[in-house]
Amino acid sequence: MSLNQLIFRNLKKNLKNYYLYVFALIFSSALYFSFVTLQYDPSMDEMTGSIKGGAALRAASVLLVAIVSIFLIYANNLFIKRRSKEIGLFQLIGMTKGRIFRILTLENFLLYSASVIIGIGAGFAFSKLILMILFKIIDIDMLAELRFSPEALLQTAIVFAVIYLLIMLMNYLFIKRQSILSLFKVTSSTETRARKLSIFEILIGIVGITLILTGYYVSSKLFSGDFTNMNRLFMAMIFILASVIIGTYLFFKGSVSFIFNLIRKSKNGYLNINEVLSLSSIMFRMRSNAMLLSIITTVSALAIGLLSLSYISYYSVDNGAASSQPDMFTLADSEDAAAFTAKLDAENIDYSQKEIEVLQANLNIGDIMDSALEEMNFDPANVSMGIVSDEALEEIDAEADEVLFAGYNDALGRFYNFEDEGNITLFSKSSSMDLRYIGLEKQSVVPYFFSGGGFPAAIVDEAVFTQLQNDLDPEIQLETSTYIGMNIKEEAQYELANEVFNDLFADAEGMNMSRMNSSASQKLVMGLAMFIVGFLGLTFLITSGCILYFKQMDESEDEKPSYVILRKLGFTQWDLLRGIQAKQLFSFGIPLVLGLSHSYFAVQSGWFFFGNDLWTPMLIVMVVYTGLYSIFGVLSLMYYKRVIREAL
Amino acid sequence: MVILEAQKIYKSYGNKFNKQEVLKGIDVSIGKGEFLSIMGASGSGKTTLLNVLSSIDHVSTGSIKIEGKEITSLKEKQLAEFRKKSLGFIFQDYNLLDTLTVKENILLPLSIAKVSRKAADSLFHSLASELGIREIEHKYPNEISGGQKQRTSAARAFIHEPSIIFADEPTGALDSKSASDLLNKLSELNMKRGSTIAMVTHDPVAASYSSRVIFIKDGQIYTQLTKGEQDRQAFFKDIMKTQAVLGGVQHES
Ligand SMILES: Nc1ncnc2c1ncn2[C@@H]1O[C@H](COP(=O)(O)OP(=O)(O)O)[C@@H](O)[C@H]1O
Ligand SMILES: [Mg+2]
Repeated sequence: MSLNQLIFRNLKKNLKNYYLYVFALIFSSALYFSFVTLQYDPSMDEMTGSIKGGAALRAASVLLVAIVSIFLIYANNLFIKRRSKEIGLFQLIGMTKGRIFRILTLENFLLYSASVIIGIGAGFAFSKLILMILFKIIDIDMLAELRFSPEALLQTAIVFAVIYLLIMLMNYLFIKRQSILSLFKVTSSTETRARKLSIFEILIGIVGITLILTGYYVSSKLFSGDFTNMNRLFMAMIFILASVIIGTYLFFKGSVSFIFNLIRKSKNGYLNINEVLSLSSIMFRMRSNAMLLSIITTVSALAIGLLSLSYISYYSVDNGAASSQPDMFTLADSEDAAAFTAKLDAENIDYSQKEIEVLQANLNIGDIMDSALEEMNFDPANVSMGIVSDEALEEIDAEADEVLFAGYNDALGRFYNFEDEGNITLFSKSSSMDLRYIGLEKQSVVPYFFSGGGFPAAIVDEAVFTQLQNDLDPEIQLETSTYIGMNIKEEAQYELANEVFNDLFADAEGMNMSRMNSSASQKLVMGLAMFIVGFLGLTFLITSGCILYFKQMDESEDEKPSYVILRKLGFTQWDLLRGIQAKQLFSFGIPLVLGLSHSYFAVQSGWFFFGNDLWTPMLIVMVVYTGLYSIFGVLSLMYYKRVIREAL
Repeated sequence: MVILEAQKIYKSYGNKFNKQEVLKGIDVSIGKGEFLSIMGASGSGKTTLLNVLSSIDHVSTGSIKIEGKEITSLKEKQLAEFRKKSLGFIFQDYNLLDTLTVKENILLPLSIAKVSRKAADSLFHSLASELGIREIEHKYPNEISGGQKQRTSAARAFIHEPSIIFADEPTGALDSKSASDLLNKLSELNMKRGSTIAMVTHDPVAASYSSRVIFIKDGQIYTQLTKGEQDRQAFFKDIMKTQAVLGGVQHES
């Protein structure tokens, strides 16, 4: 057989076995190419303008390269180990190592370049779709055009060529280091030899679980007021990270074996087929894959966590804008308001206008408020707040001696806690009034600007308000004390009104604000962030799924002799398949569940800084992630099915 | 009483154009409680015959009845059902599961048959004592010797009291001391429990422990010897003589 024939045959054989590797190659090059195409797309800078969308994408593409190259190198390592027997055979029949390396290089080159070319083609086709998705996410009306970018092609070609060279270097080192004998041994040395669990491993197992739980516990206490200065807060975060990550490693190293061993012990030697295939196999394998699994788990947790947080931010944009700007338009003074209303009238747009007088005064709220972060420079006995009369608000009424707060911000809310009722003292310049605090309204009534950036405003009776007005402390008053808010009556005219607003105040910075504009600009930032995180997350999801799948492929080959034995003993294919299902549930499920639970605790400890809805966005992210991830579990199951069918 | 009856078994490998006939019309019958050996040169089709008789492989044509039940027409599921109830296996390379302890390996057939845990435990204790593997019940296969592995394998074959036990070169990988140990145990179990054993071997010593030996050559039964009343030594000599006439290679490994 000539060398060419040999290469061709190997290629054909390997293609069948490694179709997923080829798929992964195609997929990662497609992903990378479309991402880079996006980066070079002129519309990117056009629309993102000030926030440098291109730069963000560039930074993300570096990360993308890192993920993809680590994955490809890892996958290649798995495959070359599996082929070590074949390589040993070539050596045995007298081929030199150099020649074998050349064969491998050529073979890989064909496989690799074909996949990358297909991938680039697919990436090109998909880049329009991806651009459309991006535009949809950031809520921009722009036509996504299919543009071929030579720079993107060049960059992709260079990146993948470098990865190829790296892979070849690894292969070279691998072949160089092996002797004929050791080549034969690589696969036959099972990943772990079965043996009894030592006391040390049991200890590791217990410590692993304890560390994870401790990390979770501390994370749930992170912002509940127990850590009262920045330094301690920071230390706590480091502690959580370290304890969860180390715990995860030890969990795979020892806890899984430990727990499974306990279950096994309780069976007293009497295992059913599911237990034979799942418990006994996994308890040895997880231990030897501890490093890989803990990396996958940690990075999945990171991916799910970041995805959840960016989705929470994105999801909460409208809500957030509504609480920082209670009305559709906020106008700085009556002149601007008059100019705006004139234009609105000219366009025949129906609107309503309100003016709210907001005074600033100091209050002693020590009675209804307990903890606060030490370093926030915050003294509950002397807090400056915006004061609003109940006359100015239609839906709220306060009795003569009552006060209530309006406008609650989830993030700040973590640092202070109001009692349901209590006593408050309101200081005017020369005297003070004792008032009864009766509660907190979530909806804010004046923009953040008037209420000290997210703190609630205090609503008092008109009488109290007048009294205060007559005895104001001028030093703490803002430049303007009148809030002018405007709403458009017809939803259909809102957009037109916003255009009028933009025309009028295009360069007037400052106090004139449109809620729609704030929403849109935040959506742009959050949407872009979410898009990039999503893209990276998806890449990671697919690469880690592939790695787990490859691992399972390997294991199934390793375990094939066991399937032969079991079938000889009278277990049917279906019995075995059911057992394998149990096994896959653990093999894929344990890293997934652990990753989900890590990210849950990470997200719940700080989500309120990002938005005001936790569950919907987080659950959506988790469900989607789980769904995509499960595909790999199902694929591996199908592979096992074939192996089992052939075993006997 | 006949427990296994095989008639006109043909078995060939390969496709239409490239066919290799391995078994060419073999008739065998095995009586209940019999200890049968199958001998023949390397490549003569011993393993193939055993696999076919034990339902692991399909015949090309022919009929095989075990306890009056025709097994050649059974479907995959029924075959598996049949194997787990009625058959036991011992193989040259032990075929133990590496990730299970000795005890777990042995109890496997009972767990398929859904025997109660308590009954399983007592069955295990008596059998493991007979085979001398009580002390190693919690060890993994890679922590024990070849002889112990094979006794474990034998225990697994016997534990569910199958109608027939098939053994393919069970002593092939053992040193002579472990081999004779194992053979002694096998013939003991054969006598005490009345188990039926069909064993493939190329070793005349091993064959001399059985009660009847059939010789295979060119895919057919060449001849057979019965031990009858003679002692093991005399039977061994008979076997040696036949083997010499057969002209086969005496030791294949
Ligand atoms: N699965 C198979 N496919 C093709 N030929 C086989 C297969 N199994 C065995 N053979 C052939 O059948 C013949 C008998 O093999 P076998 O029964 O293993 O011999 P023995 O066990 O007596 O040494 C051999 O020539 C072998 O090449
Ligand atoms: Mg054989």
